[in-house]
Amino acid sequence: MRQGREYLDPAFLSKLANMDLVARCAVEGFFAGLHPSPFHGFSVEYSDHRQYHPGDELKFVDWKVFGRSDRLYIKRFRQETNATVYILLDTSNSMSFAGNPVRKVPDGTFRAAQPCSHGVRKIDYACFLAAALSYLMLSQGDSTSLMLFAETVVKQIPPKSKHTHLNAILTALQSTSPSGRTNLANVLHVFAEATKRRGMVILISDLLDDEGDIYKGLAHLKFLKHDVIIFHTMDHQELNLGYEGLIEFEDLESKARLQTFPQSIRDSYRKRVAEFLDEVQKTAGKSGIDYCLLDTSQPLDKALIAYLARRKRMM
Amino acid sequence: MSFVQWTFLLGGLAVVGPLIAHLLAKPRFRRVPFTMLRFLRSGQIESQSRRKLRDLLILLLRCAIIVLIAMLFAQPILHIRPKPQRTRNVYYVGLDNSMSMAYSDGSDSYIDRAIESAIGYIQAAGTDSVFNICPLASPDWLQGLSKEQAMVAVKGLKVSPASAKMGDFLSALGRTKRDALSGDVTSVLLVSDFTPNTLKQLPNVQEPAETHNIDYKPIVSPEPINNAAIIEAHASEVVGGRIGIDVTVANYGQTEQTRLLTAKVKASESVLAEVSLPPNQRRTYQAQVDIGGSEREQLSLPIELSLSPGDGLRQDDTFYLAVSMPERKSLDVLLARNTANEMFLVATALYTLSRMKPDGAFKMRQVLLSDLASADLGSADILICSAITAPLERMASALRNFVRAGGRIIFFLTGEPAYNATAQLWQQDVLPALPRKYTPEKIYVEPKPLQQQGSAVDNLAAEALANYRIDNMPFKGWWQCEPHAQSRCLWKFKDDQGFIYCKSIGDGKSILVNTSADNSLGSLTKSSASVAFCQYLLGANSQVSENSFAYGEPVSLPVPGVEATSGQQQFWVETCDAQKCRVALSKSSLLVPDPGGIGWVKTLGKPAIYAGVNLPQGETDMTKPVSKELAEIMSRVFSRDTEPGVASADVFGDKKQTSLWKVFAWTLIFLLLLEPAIANRLKR
Repeated sequence: MRQGREYLDPAFLSKLANMDLVARCAVEGFFAGLHPSPFHGFSVEYSDHRQYHPGDELKFVDWKVFGRSDRLYIKRFRQETNATVYILLDTSNSMSFAGNPVRKVPDGTFRAAQPCSHGVRKIDYACFLAAALSYLMLSQGDSTSLMLFAETVVKQIPPKSKHTHLNAILTALQSTSPSGRTNLANVLHVFAEATKRRGMVILISDLLDDEGDIYKGLAHLKFLKHDVIIFHTMDHQELNLGYEGLIEFEDLESKARLQTFPQSIRDSYRKRVAEFLDEVQKTAGKSGIDYCLLDTSQPLDKALIAYLARRKRMM
Repeated sequence: MSFVQWTFLLGGLAVVGPLIAHLLAKPRFRRVPFTMLRFLRSGQIESQSRRKLRDLLILLLRCAIIVLIAMLFAQPILHIRPKPQRTRNVYYVGLDNSMSMAYSDGSDSYIDRAIESAIGYIQAAGTDSVFNICPLASPDWLQGLSKEQAMVAVKGLKVSPASAKMGDFLSALGRTKRDALSGDVTSVLLVSDFTPNTLKQLPNVQEPAETHNIDYKPIVSPEPINNAAIIEAHASEVVGGRIGIDVTVANYGQTEQTRLLTAKVKASESVLAEVSLPPNQRRTYQAQVDIGGSEREQLSLPIELSLSPGDGLRQDDTFYLAVSMPERKSLDVLLARNTANEMFLVATALYTLSRMKPDGAFKMRQVLLSDLASADLGSADILICSAITAPLERMASALRNFVRAGGRIIFFLTGEPAYNATAQLWQQDVLPALPRKYTPEKIYVEPKPLQQQGSAVDNLAAEALANYRIDNMPFKGWWQCEPHAQSRCLWKFKDDQGFIYCKSIGDGKSILVNTSADNSLGSLTKSSASVAFCQYLLGANSQVSENSFAYGEPVSLPVPGVEATSGQQQFWVETCDAQKCRVALSKSSLLVPDPGGIGWVKTLGKPAIYAGVNLPQGETDMTKPVSKELAEIMSRVFSRDTEPGVASADVFGDKKQTSLWKVFAWTLIFLLLLEPAIANRLKR
């Protein structure tokens, strides 16, 4: 299990040059860590048997086998759906942010280590996640679409369920580079109007745009009966502001600068970020949108679990 | 504040270092790309101002540390001076209200003029002034009065029978001045008639009183003073229903006085003499006052002596003389002798005295010293021992009780005193002197006894003895005696050795005669000196005594014949101002705390006992003061304090020096601890 989780570590994944390998490692590593997997049994095509464990639903017990062998076995099935999943990946400049590798200091908080060159960029983390999800969905036979956006839609790959479709998605992910400013609301409206078939919308973004507009865009998607999952991708430094000393911050999108002493504003910053995240989570919850905050220093399994849970509810 | 090593203060210039560093230092910022600047900006505004404040605070802290170190090395000393007080005018108005101020020359009295003068002075003072009204003849000062209160107090001032006490005024003034606030400006006004009785107190002032302003106003009449007074009166003895009185009258004025001296005994008034006195003269008039049957009726007799008609000051024209009548009972004398005829001469003298005194007699009993017992002392008033012999040893305690109860013992030194008896009597404090060594040499006594107050001996007899030239009579020898600490030598030999010693024990007396009875009395048998000598030793019992007191003295009323211990018996007493009070009997007398003026103090009920309370002698001497002399006295008594407030503060050492290095050291330690705490807080 521990070996499996290593493949979910973003630092490990960032060392892999091939995005296909990234997706495979992530998904296989994820499933290797699940025991027993709760994600079997919601399809109609038989897959295999396994031994009954207390807690399993009795409706999946194979009574014929029980009658023959006097042993309890559970029948497992392979999923067979035609769900459409749209992955919306933010590729604006803010996604190029990579904080310092973090370390835990004796007071229990995380601080950025010096120098700051070994962090995983948010865009990389988001690509890993998109690749893993695509691999997982296509292996289940779902139609998967990818849309890269910044101020506008940068690239869009239409939904297909063929397994070869994965290559197109992975190529697009591998070739993408962050640029431009975020205009998420506009992109959501454009996407909503252009998409005829309802499905699951997975938004991977740092949501650094006007909150009101974002909520309107998400509401638009919900109005069209889409199931929406937001993977809010944030760097650890963005969440905690663990910098030391006199620092001049430069905004990645607007290029605005701010000279400050992070120690003195850390508390108020954390408080305001927490308020922002809380507000987003509450608003999403009210709209029936799944919200998952992702720290780029954390493994990918959290995101995958959130996706699978959502998909189960859809079925 | 000053510094012992002020050069170290130059080290404080090092404060320039942090100042320059603060001004020139530029912060070096590390550029970091970031995304969520909008969340940074909100906290930035608050943080910038707080950071500037903290920067400034830490700069000041570091500068203070440098300055404190420099000051600490310079050894600071703090000079504490009392805070300057708001200037306040404090007036001390010394107003003479002694009896002489009651004098009137036909218009206003002196006291009215003094009050008028004081009110004018108070009115001229500022409204926020503080007044202290000091009646010179009264003990009560009215302090801390406002202007209106002071005027009311002055207007209500009354004359007191007491003398003006200038010494008390000046010393109290000094004390009050010392306690005054440092900003006070003190002014003294003295309003008085400055009689000789007042002025004579001033040269005795030890320390001049400090004041900023001094003003004095002598109250004198432009007219010649018209005042005579009875200043003294003494009663001598009662003979044939008449009492002899010596009355001294003084003319304190500048006009010749022609007055009638009258005496009033109960309801009857009689003219004693016609007084004619030139100015500033005094004369004693001897007169006989007929007391009729009063001498048999009562123990105490009030005699009111007056001068008529009146003059400018009537209060001193009357003198209150209370006379105590002599006791009429006969005295029981016990003669304790060693041999049969040893006391013959004493007995003869006593027999003669008994015949001479119509008012009383002596009852004599004789007993041998060896047979003397305590029972013999029970009925005796006087015990005369011809010698100190061995039997007296066992009687020592009884003799002591006898004397304490009011008895009188007279010891003669005949032969050598028995050692044990002498020691025992000495130990019991009965002997007034201890005979140590006999010197068999001729010796002569002084011509007359020493003048002694009190009733230990008969002073009239003592004067009579001086006429007999006893000093020519040689004595065979004398004992060198060690007098008791409480005994007095009444008569001396010519070489300063004691002849007669007397000691008071309780209510009685013990007398030691430093010769034998034979030598003292026997040598005098050829004349009547033996009788006088015997009378001298036995004490007076035919003289009248007086109960007259000057106002201010403790007044006591003797209550003879009443045996009561202190506090067990009380008498109602009426004082001069007709107030009634209960007074406890103490040692056969009633001590009246406050006579309430001049006049009669008397018991109510029986026995009727009187005491006269008169003005202090010389109080009403109205001799006008000489201006130049008065000014000189005032300049000597008062000294001007030119610097208000500050001088007194310096005199009493209010200015202090305190070393501050401890304060600076602790402050420095505190700042050194505070600095890293603030600096660390700044980094967070």
